[in-house]
Amino acid sequence: MTVRERWWAAIACAGLAVALAGTCGLLTRHGTSGLRPAPAAQVAAFPAPTGPIVAAAPTARPAAIAAPAALTIPELGVSTRLITLGLTAQGTVQVPPTTSVAGWYTRSPRPGAVGPAIILGHIDSDHGPGVFFRLAGLRSGDPIYIRRSDGSTVEFEVTAVQSYLKARFPTEAVYGPTPDAELRLITCGGAFDAATSHYLSNIVVYATEVS
Amino acid sequence: MKHLRNIGRVALLLVAAVLLLATPAVSAAAASGGAASGGAASGGAAAGAGTAGAGTAWVRLAHLSPNTPAVDVYLYSYGNPDARMVLHHVGYGDVSPYLAVAGGDYSVAMRGAGASPTSPPVLSASLKVAAGSAYTALAVGPRAGLRIRVFRDDLSTPSGRALVRVVQASMKHPQVTVSWGGKVIASRLSFASVTSYQAVSPGAESVTATAGAGDAKSAVTLTAGSIHTLVVLDGAKGLEIDNLEDAAGSSQLPAGGVQTGFGGTAPHGPGSPLPWLEVIAGGLALAVGGGLGLRRGGRRRARSRHAPSSRP
Repeated sequence: MTVRERWWAAIACAGLAVALAGTCGLLTRHGTSGLRPAPAAQVAAFPAPTGPIVAAAPTARPAAIAAPAALTIPELGVSTRLITLGLTAQGTVQVPPTTSVAGWYTRSPRPGAVGPAIILGHIDSDHGPGVFFRLAGLRSGDPIYIRRSDGSTVEFEVTAVQSYLKARFPTEAVYGPTPDAELRLITCGGAFDAATSHYLSNIVVYATEVS
Repeated sequence: MKHLRNIGRVALLLVAAVLLLATPAVSAAAASGGAASGGAASGGAAAGAGTAGAGTAWVRLAHLSPNTPAVDVYLYSYGNPDARMVLHHVGYGDVSPYLAVAGGDYSVAMRGAGASPTSPPVLSASLKVAAGSAYTALAVGPRAGLRIRVFRDDLSTPSGRALVRVVQASMKHPQVTVSWGGKVIASRLSFASVTSYQAVSPGAESVTATAGAGDAKSAVTLTAGSIHTLVVLDGAKGLEIDNLEDAAGSSQLPAGGVQTGFGGTAPHGPGSPLPWLEVIAGGLALAVGGGLGLRRGGRRRARSRHAPSSRP
């Protein structure tokens, strides 16, 4: 084998190596990860909270309802503590600083008080699922539990799951007054706009207190 | 020489293998993109029908006739005779919680407490219930002139304000003036009348009900975004004020939706497969180029080896 031939062979082998590496890259990035993992696994075995469930008595509500501390959604295998959220300078609700925890908007009613309590969580981070990843999979009748700082628990039942374009978000319907104790769980959904790095829609779960 | 040809064969096999691997990868990428966007579209369609809490309405019933004994209050749905509700032994001053009902036509009937559900009602009224709205049906007036009045309750407040209205249910004091803090919200309101809602600045103030003979005072907190009804009643010792919270929302209405995702699980997440395809194509071009060079070199050597012997 001449020196020149060795060079040609080396070039051919290098080319093959590059092509193989490219194929591996393509397979790992596009072969499976483009698909969302199917909602399954830990969901079924998730236990419901065992704390006392406080029935609503709108005419004789306790003077002070404690602040919410934790959220459990058995159907989704979600169990998270709740942080507090205020407003941004733009007037929108602050979002939790991490994607693994949900938060309660402190200027909304406390869960169990008259009106819609607002709770936000991320659908995902830039590399994986967030606490509300499967929120859109909830169905009417699914239970949601809020544990409050005094140890009491209040149960809600999903009444509707809606998807709204953020450009046409029904502010009044989501945050506005209701005559009963309700809950809203909000996250992102719909198409992802890579240009702005934001999803174009919000998923809103509507729930009412089970009395 | 032999091992050179073998290198060429191995190179060809590898090229074929790379092509075989790359083809399903590309089609898988295309399929996954399609499947994911299809899933998003169907999710949107499933969630898109109707508005929130589809079809729910609320009805609340109150007994505000001072000299009428306790009653059983029935709520019948015209469309669905089985869907009836009954509140037993409702006495003067009692207000039920809001009952969640489907939109439609209803009738309210009152019978003496404990009377047979099939006996003719003392009083009845029909009401049209629109989905998404809340209603209060009041039994008002003296026993002799008892009637049912139905009000549609507001479910939104002006930004940063609270709404309040007054129901005058004191028969001992035919006219009552009610103020919240320094603001008069009902002036000389007569028995069995109801004011419309009015917007007030939120805060904690004392509510005063003033009639000729007696006053009543009550501390009431109205938060922004909340809607209240103040009921003036005849108590054992003069006037009483009952503060009903009709509805409540966020004290500061946020502006629109929220940015609660970074796209790490978005259907298009991995981006375009083009760069990877370019890398594969470049690698293949190099491999083919190298292979060709190798073959050319091999031929030239073969020619130079055979040429002298072929000469005569």
